[in-house]
Amino acid sequence: MKRSARIAVAATAVILTGTAAADDGALRDGRIAYVMTNLFWSVYQTEDAKDECPRGFNDGPREQFAKLFPKPEGMTVEETQLRQEIETWHPTSEPDGFEFYEVEGRYSWGLDLDGEASPEDFTHPDGGEGIDNQVYRAVGCIIGFRGPDGVEFIFQDKAIMDERYNRMMIELSGVDSLDNDDEVSVSLYRGLDRLLTDATGEKVMPGGSQRVDARWGASLIRHTTGRIVDGVLSTEPIPEVVIPWQNLRVASVHLIRDLRFVLDLAPEGATGLVAGYADVDTWYRQLIRNDSTHHLSNGQISGISLYKALRRLADAYPDPVTGENTAISTALDVKMAQVFVVHPGGEQDGGAGVTR
Amino acid sequence: MRSAKFLSRRLQATLPVAWLLASAAAVAQGGPFEQWLDVPMPPGFRVENTELEGPVFADRDGRTLYEWPLHVQRNGYSGESPDTPACYDEVLTVTAGLMSPYPPGIVLPELETRPSCTDLWPPAYADADAKPVGDWSIVERRDGTRQWAYAEQPLYTSVRDAEPGDTLGGSKRPYGGDSPAYRVPIGPPPAVPPGFAVRTTSTGRMLTTDRNDSVYAYEGDAPDASNCRGECERRFRPLLAPALARSFGEWTILARSPGVRQWVYRGEPLYTFALDEHSWSQQGSDEPGWHNVYTQKAPPFPASFTVQATIVGDVLADQRGMTIYVYQCGDDSQDQLSCDHPDDTQIYRLAMCGGGDPKRCLEYWPYVRAADHETGGSRTWSVIGIDPATGHKAKPEQADAIRVWAFRDRPIYTYAGDRQPGDTHGDGTGEWRGQRNGLRGFWLRNDMLEGPR
Repeated sequence: MKRSARIAVAATAVILTGTAAADDGALRDGRIAYVMTNLFWSVYQTEDAKDECPRGFNDGPREQFAKLFPKPEGMTVEETQLRQEIETWHPTSEPDGFEFYEVEGRYSWGLDLDGEASPEDFTHPDGGEGIDNQVYRAVGCIIGFRGPDGVEFIFQDKAIMDERYNRMMIELSGVDSLDNDDEVSVSLYRGLDRLLTDATGEKVMPGGSQRVDARWGASLIRHTTGRIVDGVLSTEPIPEVVIPWQNLRVASVHLIRDLRFVLDLAPEGATGLVAGYADVDTWYRQLIRNDSTHHLSNGQISGISLYKALRRLADAYPDPVTGENTAISTALDVKMAQVFVVHPGGEQDGGAGVTR
Repeated sequence: MRSAKFLSRRLQATLPVAWLLASAAAVAQGGPFEQWLDVPMPPGFRVENTELEGPVFADRDGRTLYEWPLHVQRNGYSGESPDTPACYDEVLTVTAGLMSPYPPGIVLPELETRPSCTDLWPPAYADADAKPVGDWSIVERRDGTRQWAYAEQPLYTSVRDAEPGDTLGGSKRPYGGDSPAYRVPIGPPPAVPPGFAVRTTSTGRMLTTDRNDSVYAYEGDAPDASNCRGECERRFRPLLAPALARSFGEWTILARSPGVRQWVYRGEPLYTFALDEHSWSQQGSDEPGWHNVYTQKAPPFPASFTVQATIVGDVLADQRGMTIYVYQCGDDSQDQLSCDHPDDTQIYRLAMCGGGDPKRCLEYWPYVRAADHETGGSRTWSVIGIDPATGHKAKPEQADAIRVWAFRDRPIYTYAGDRQPGDTHGDGTGEWRGQRNGLRGFWLRNDMLEGPR
């Protein structure tokens, strides 16, 4: 499937959790900013997973090890443990002998990234066709990626609260109204501060402040434009975005090409989707660098099998030499809280020092 | 016993002259070294200054002493309970299954050359007439021999250490819960007042408060005068000495104003930084004129190396700016033997760096080569010869040996997956996020991943 810059119909792709309030109190001098509080792969789930995973869930490393080596006593470390670790760290697209359960359902969250409705595309639960989300097809039948208690889901939610490393935020400027605006500027930054929470320390509150990380995070800054229609922001694709992503304190990243936001805006927060094409190797290495085989086992995530699926399902950015696709369509659910952004030196791109 | 053979061979090779010469050299090249508090020691035992770990206890031959603390693993414990030696001369043959998901009972690599625990960690034996002193006690091993213990932990030396002041067997740096059960050098308490602490970091022995807040000094101050007043004082908070505190050693007291007394270390009034985001921070050192305080700095890295900014913080890099990585490894035996040194089995490392193929390892994780004119400048940074086909140290005069930089006598690497300076895509490669059989970046500062204070 060829990629395209065209954005899908935004309104059908957004996970709507509210509407833009009439009171745009946080919008001041045409600016408003939001910091990410949740960011995770968008996985469409039905009750008992019968629709999307009719054959059940995939085995993980523990189950595969038991099948490969039913009597490991007497075998060597090289024949067993290191063999599996080598397969994990030096993966190939060759079959591993295990049947992999891809998502078989019709529906998925996500966006139509390429403007085409291909056989491998999903249908949005709202009825929109051509949804590109092959990461979902790969991970949707792995329990570790399913909410609310999958190991990846839990760790990522926790990490985004605990560390500043993945403190990504967007700032909108030139905004006339959070309901409708033909063109707004959108900037992507990393923040330097902890999230403002309520007294429990668990719930992120709007109204915090975040200093822009213009030092360590300078290479993460991106700019694009977008428009707001009926309270929904849709941005133009950003060619390449690096998202700092760690869940177990290894400083890894995701590399998303043609990344765009579709967000339901409100004065106190924003909710919606981030979508684009994830670089497959970067995606995979992010997973296995943060999650040891033990952690993968807890989520029944076989890195070995999953890598082959990602390669098989990759649908964009063919390698100029081999022709093999290097990127895979994806969508992430994102939740954001409104923040006041403090720019270094009080200036940013000619803008105001503090977004208020 | 095999342990006796190993010990004897090493002693013959190192003790006579080199031992004494090296001890003098260690003191001469560094400094200032960290001062310590005197504690009672067994006769002949002493304290040695070290480059990375500060003062450590050494036996009467100057060999650094290590303990093996009990360490919780995923499926059990390894290390030693108080007063209970667990390191013996048996060669263990199978895994202990301490780290999930792999089961116990799997045959360990290279059994024909696998050392026993005491081959690598000779016990610190006590003479028949030795008597406990202070926190030093004597425990009985199961063969009836007597072994020194400190604070109830049985003590060992390391065959990796060749000279007094070496700490090649282990480090005091904190290690994570999924790390192997490391051996740790022990030493006397640092000579700091109550309310302060010292921690081994990649940049040196960092002085902190006992709440792990970094301690800073200002170049505009004098031993008897603080020039941090007003607004400065709100950002950098003077570390106040209690009314009963008295000067001692390198520590003096400055009267900021009547009744307000500030600690001064080596002539520098001390502060914490109000805007530090996390413990052991270096953020205050970004303020002009301010710097972290160390009891001793880590030895300088090789002159050809560089420091690169990344999206995490600063990392050590080679002369091209490519991130430097250190290999870490401990096996899953009950002994938790190391596999991170060129003299250890290379089975684990080769699996991780090249899928078992030494040539792929050289391609994916190349050694940091030393130029012909470069030589090691310290105990910490050295140039060693490596046999590229095996990963072991090369034999003398081996024609195809390569000269590589080593940190603590272990080679360092770059990663082929890093495309440009500042990339750290190799960090966390390997088992347990690179902690047990894998590679970690050589972080000098990781502001964005330190967690809350």
